[in-house]
Amino acid sequence: MTVLGEFALWISLPVAIWGMVLGYAGGRTQRGDLVLSSERSVYAVFFLLTLASLGVMAAFVNDSFEYWYVASYSNRDAEIFYKVTGLWAGQRGSLLFWALLLGFFASLCVFLNRKKNREFMPYVAGVLQTILTFFIVVLLFADVNPFERLAFTPADGQGLNPQLQNYWMTIHPPTLYLGFTAFTIPFAFAVAALLNGRLDARWIALTRRWILTSWLFLSVGIVLGMRWAYEELGWGGYWFWDPVENASLLPWLTATAFLHSIQIQENRGMLKVWNMSLVLLTFLLTIFATFLTRSGLIESVHSFAQELKIAYIFLGFMSAVLGACIVLILYRLPQLRSENQIESFLSRESAFLFNNLMLLGAAFTVMWGTMFPLIAEGVTGESVTVGPPFFERVNFPIGLVLLALAGIGPVIAWRRATRRNLQRNFATPVVVGLAVAAVLWVLGARHELALTTWGIGAFVLTIIFTEFWKGTRARARIEGERYALAFFHLVSRNRRRWGGYTVHVGIVLIFMGFAGSAYNVDERHHMMPGDVVEVESPFGHTYSLTYESLSFSIGRGQRNLMWQAIATVSVERDGEARGILTTENRQYVQNDQIMTEVGIAPTPLEDLYLILAGVDDLEGIMSGEAASEGIDLQTLVKPLVSWIWFGCLILAGGTVVALWPSVDRKRAAAAAVPAAPVREPALAASAD
Amino acid sequence: MKKHGRFMVGLVGVAAVVSYLIWTGVSETMVYYLTPIELMAKIEADPTFHEVGVKVGGQVVRGTYQRVEGELLHTFMVRDLADESVTFPVEYRDALPGTFTDDVEVVLEGRLRPDGVFEATTLLTKCGSRYEAAPEDLAG
Repeated sequence: MTVLGEFALWISLPVAIWGMVLGYAGGRTQRGDLVLSSERSVYAVFFLLTLASLGVMAAFVNDSFEYWYVASYSNRDAEIFYKVTGLWAGQRGSLLFWALLLGFFASLCVFLNRKKNREFMPYVAGVLQTILTFFIVVLLFADVNPFERLAFTPADGQGLNPQLQNYWMTIHPPTLYLGFTAFTIPFAFAVAALLNGRLDARWIALTRRWILTSWLFLSVGIVLGMRWAYEELGWGGYWFWDPVENASLLPWLTATAFLHSIQIQENRGMLKVWNMSLVLLTFLLTIFATFLTRSGLIESVHSFAQELKIAYIFLGFMSAVLGACIVLILYRLPQLRSENQIESFLSRESAFLFNNLMLLGAAFTVMWGTMFPLIAEGVTGESVTVGPPFFERVNFPIGLVLLALAGIGPVIAWRRATRRNLQRNFATPVVVGLAVAAVLWVLGARHELALTTWGIGAFVLTIIFTEFWKGTRARARIEGERYALAFFHLVSRNRRRWGGYTVHVGIVLIFMGFAGSAYNVDERHHMMPGDVVEVESPFGHTYSLTYESLSFSIGRGQRNLMWQAIATVSVERDGEARGILTTENRQYVQNDQIMTEVGIAPTPLEDLYLILAGVDDLEGIMSGEAASEGIDLQTLVKPLVSWIWFGCLILAGGTVVALWPSVDRKRAAAAAVPAAPVREPALAASAD
Repeated sequence: MKKHGRFMVGLVGVAAVVSYLIWTGVSETMVYYLTPIELMAKIEADPTFHEVGVKVGGQVVRGTYQRVEGELLHTFMVRDLADESVTFPVEYRDALPGTFTDDVEVVLEGRLRPDGVFEATTLLTKCGSRYEAAPEDLAG
């Protein structure tokens, strides 16, 4: 199976090149046979990449340690689950996995468009095959072939880094990759539009669902990564502005900007060049993120030297794509003229433009902060870094403006907002926002940034709920429907609008959750068995924690586990028993590090988060003759963390609503034939 | 057209504010990331550097780690990765990460006091094989 997979990978290269050449040639000559062949080659490449991926999985499952990649990321005792998911555990497999997902989306796209949009499809197939060709070339020739063999066969593999042995970590990268690869389709349509000259909003309308799908996976993927960091990394946070995290945030920021700016093009025929640039930029950032997340490029210059070849190939490809697209955009510039101009500062166009500026500003900040150490070292020879304080300082103000725009954008009028429009839509929400901030201040919240976030959040929520309420009420009155039914119909008649508003609600909840971190409680206690500490939470609860015992076990239960020391703590909240929490130190075989497993007791308002920060006499406990069972227990209370996860669910729900194929349209199409004769007399009557 | 001009002013204004935020952000949060050798050289050239917070990457010298009983104070020596002779003592008052061993590579943030002791406020361990391992090591 593995040999077959390796063979399939080699075969996929000429097939992809064939499809690439025929796609462009078919688009140019309009020859149906060339186009058909190019489209079929997309399916073929997907099939071959599937074989290659199955080959890698088979190598993992069969413990074929003669392969470098398997020896690096697995060992005999690894659980079967981690063997199968080994495909995306490291850089080499990830690149193959990326290509596989792209092959899947490309095939889906070709299949869905097999009978329509024929003016785009030859070029779309050509572009998709170009990108597939690139990834196959990287896999085969950039020293990252997952099928590379070692000169010898080790008795056992290195094993997977224990930090990656976590449920979230196995679904987080695929989710992000789905987002990255799905964005290739809108990019391919954009390039196809540049090539065939259909530069109206058609390519945007055709790819709107792809854009939303990509955005959904990107958003959920990022939040899953936060969830993983929160549960597994054991320092109580979920975001550290790590280069790898930043790399996944960058395309999200530009994709979000794109998602908004295309609405201006669709409604007002403006920003055509801007949208082309954004789709190109987002695509390049997905490639950049793919490259960065699985290489040590940013961490140190030394790893850069090791990965010079692949770095050059990626940079070369990205420059080539950038150059080709710029040439195409310049060539088509006369057809990309704006059909309208912005008329007023106070208009939806301008709100969307500011949203775009802010998102790009944030993206630029994140990019700058991530690359700064490399740039500074290159220019001055001195190593300097910027850490979380930099990102927070710059991005917090930008984030707050964006948050406010999430409320302003949906209700401000197109073209020019009148005084009346502003008063009617914003008077109450502003009052509510200020009132919420004031009440929180009275209740004792004094952190300015957090108060501002909650105030603006309340402002946005008021606006959006008012919109929902107004729409439902109007429909209930006009159609004589009950409110629940009216609400359902309202949303289903314009999924895009109401789904979008729901996403905004999710974003607000996530931001409010972020602001909760201003009130984190973080204490450290040295405790002996039987000791009790009390922890006060910002919501006024008192946690009473009793350190019960420290138990030690060797290699039982989970595979690859050498030993674990488990501290058991019983929790009382406000005098009420809340059960037991455990937090552990453990060590895995073939890894020197001692890992910490945290204990988390989540509630809707705050999480209690316990970390076993130190064991007095670890060696004694291992040998069974401990001098002391004392531990250092780090006790954290983290307000509103659950809102982030909950907000993400709302956001995903809203996106799905916006994505859902419209049933109405199908029904309308089905009803059109018999309905036509009935309508005619009515029309004639009204004409009289 | 006049409106358009005013709009452009707005755009440029926003871009200027963002640039300003980035500029001040970098200059106020930037931290030097040095090797012990570079840190010593900097201090020698400019003694006010004792007050400046820096990030230093080095390796814990085996056998020098001590925990001061009764208080949460850890002391150990850190040496340059390339030159074993360049070392300095470190004081760290916080819980050590589980990944800390007495010959691990560490990245410290803090300042080198005039008495020659590095007062670390944060300590990160740097594992050479964070996500990657070299199976070539398995050959032996």
